[in-house]
Amino acid sequence: MIYFFDGSKAAFLTAFLLAYRDEDALLTTGSHQLTLGQKSVFVRADAQKAARCEQRLLQFDEHCMRDLDLLLRSGEEMRGQTAFLYFRMIAARKRPVRGELAENAVADASECIRRVKLEAHRLKGFVRFMECASGALYAPLSPDNDVCDLLLPHFCARLPHIPFVLHDVRRAKAAVWDGAHSFLAPLGEAEIVLAADETAWQSLWRQYYASVNIPSRERIRQMKGYMPVRYWKFMPEDPSAAIGDLPFAARNASDAAAQDGAPHPRGSLQSPPAPRRP
Amino acid sequence: MFDFVRPPWYTESMIAQETLRILTESAKYDVSCSSSGSGRRNEGGIGNGMPDGCCHSFTPDGRCVSLLKILMSNDCVFDCKYCMSRRSVDVPRASATPEEICELTVDFYKRNYIEGLFLSSAVHISPDHTMEQLVRTVKLLRTRYCFHGYVHLKGIPKADPLLVSEAARYADRMSYNMELPSEKSLKLLAPQKDKESLLLPMRQLRRERDVFRAEKRKGAFLPAGQTTQMIVGASPEHDGQILRLTESLYRVTGLKRVYYSSYTPVVEDALLPAVQSAALREHRLYQADWLLRFYGFDVEELVPEEEDLPLDVDPKCAWALRNLHLFPVEVNRAPLEMLLRVPGIGGRSAQKILSARRYTALTFEHLKKMRVVLKRARHFITANGKFYGEKNTLAVRGLLAAGEREDAGARQLSLFDTPAALSAHTGEL
Repeated sequence: MIYFFDGSKAAFLTAFLLAYRDEDALLTTGSHQLTLGQKSVFVRADAQKAARCEQRLLQFDEHCMRDLDLLLRSGEEMRGQTAFLYFRMIAARKRPVRGELAENAVADASECIRRVKLEAHRLKGFVRFMECASGALYAPLSPDNDVCDLLLPHFCARLPHIPFVLHDVRRAKAAVWDGAHSFLAPLGEAEIVLAADETAWQSLWRQYYASVNIPSRERIRQMKGYMPVRYWKFMPEDPSAAIGDLPFAARNASDAAAQDGAPHPRGSLQSPPAPRRP
Repeated sequence: MFDFVRPPWYTESMIAQETLRILTESAKYDVSCSSSGSGRRNEGGIGNGMPDGCCHSFTPDGRCVSLLKILMSNDCVFDCKYCMSRRSVDVPRASATPEEICELTVDFYKRNYIEGLFLSSAVHISPDHTMEQLVRTVKLLRTRYCFHGYVHLKGIPKADPLLVSEAARYADRMSYNMELPSEKSLKLLAPQKDKESLLLPMRQLRRERDVFRAEKRKGAFLPAGQTTQMIVGASPEHDGQILRLTESLYRVTGLKRVYYSSYTPVVEDALLPAVQSAALREHRLYQADWLLRFYGFDVEELVPEEEDLPLDVDPKCAWALRNLHLFPVEVNRAPLEMLLRVPGIGGRSAQKILSARRYTALTFEHLKKMRVVLKRARHFITANGKFYGEKNTLAVRGLLAAGEREDAGARQLSLFDTPAALSAHTGEL
């Protein structure tokens, strides 16, 4: 049977309880093509069942909810099933299985968690803030995984006196720090007024980026390996211009990424040019 | 929306584009880029340290941009032959004020462009004057601008020891560049510098840091330690000599890291090679350096003093091929130290193997699933008794070298290539 759930932790744990003894269970958050005769059910979150399930799983592995949080943040379509197989193994063996990397379920879950953590780490460096007229900072981003709020503690610790907004344009949500509290909020489109000198600082940064490069040692492949092209779109230094313009298809790693529109800030920043279609 | 007012000391002294270009282009050949090792906390202001380091961008030359790498001035009284800012060349000169550097750092930092500042300078007027300017800038940044991000400060040779001590109280990391691996080359190419002027402040800083830690004093004293840099290919020293110097620096001065920079000709001089040194040599030196620091290798095992590292295979492969009597090792039983000596198995893969083999006898299928790279390792390991590599040493060396060459300089031949060019690519005489 296929168990559809909404991607939340409570819904996953409820679906887990239902599907645990089902040998052919498939847990998914997205659309799935049913085969002939295959049954499906949409599982709604049940707070009581979820709490019971969580408590039991924590008895087997006290850190497993941290893993679940990271797995459910993944942008992979099969994240529900990856998490299900991993947690079914914990429940079956009644102990942590994190180190058993020779098992398929553990290897897949561990790889999924690694990707989420890697993206969160990368974005700590690749996020670019713009200063608004109010003095607050605004950064648009479109991560593959839902890591927006994982970045909050990092930036709160280093910019404690400056309010900022991390806007996940793909998921239409924002992680906000108002100088005293941090919270998540839905945010479709942002209209911002930039500080008067924002363009000048961006221009200085572009100058710096161009000057620090050593043209006689060109290693574009290495550059793209460390800084994948999908993160370039919100960077004011515009790495694609530095290596010659790229075709539209190469700029966007996935269809989802191609849909993300860059916000059009008012003020001194010029509107970004419309993307070229293939 | 938000009520954020700029601090009253903010003077809006934005550096000019041209000044930034000149001062950055003069600093870019310094390869030190890491921002790791400091966990400095935010104590009311802006910024903090990130012990793992953080890369903010990458330039088309494949290098990361982590710190704002800039000189205070490129107007130099020294005349080092390899340097683009040397006294005897006619290049545009510029200087920045401490306020300009501080505001550039803070504004870039809060936009998350950089992780901190890498501040260096040409020797302007005198070593003491230059060091004073550097210390003044860093002190200003820490006290008036309340910046707690990462600061890497370049030490100026022959500056007063008191200035060096003061700088270390504000910087996260300091470095004195060895530049050339022997006293003889240093005398020839950098006549105003000598070995002692570089080693003395390094030893002084280590001594003071040890005292600071032993007495558990408040504050920070170079939390990220010291580094140095050597130019490779500008002088005739062999890799064996360079690595021996590296090992002794790690031991004597407690350096965190030695950087190698393959020589790039930026000024013409009869004493210097006219061509750029091979990037692969620099890469092999870094690989050997890693083996010394993290893999338990000794320099004597890697390369004799009067020889270079082989370019066709990496230093670990070369060592393994010389010591084939130690292989293959069984992944299910080998200790961590031996696993780390298998070509292709790094620290992370070794830890994965240690963790997984507690529960089951590992096979090659398991290793593949665990994303352990087997291209090189398969010739040196058995998994659950099975061996899938080549037994013949020559064949192994050939395969490993072929793997290394996969994309090095490969290109589609053209019909219009001259016979000489074709011969160079195909090897046909």
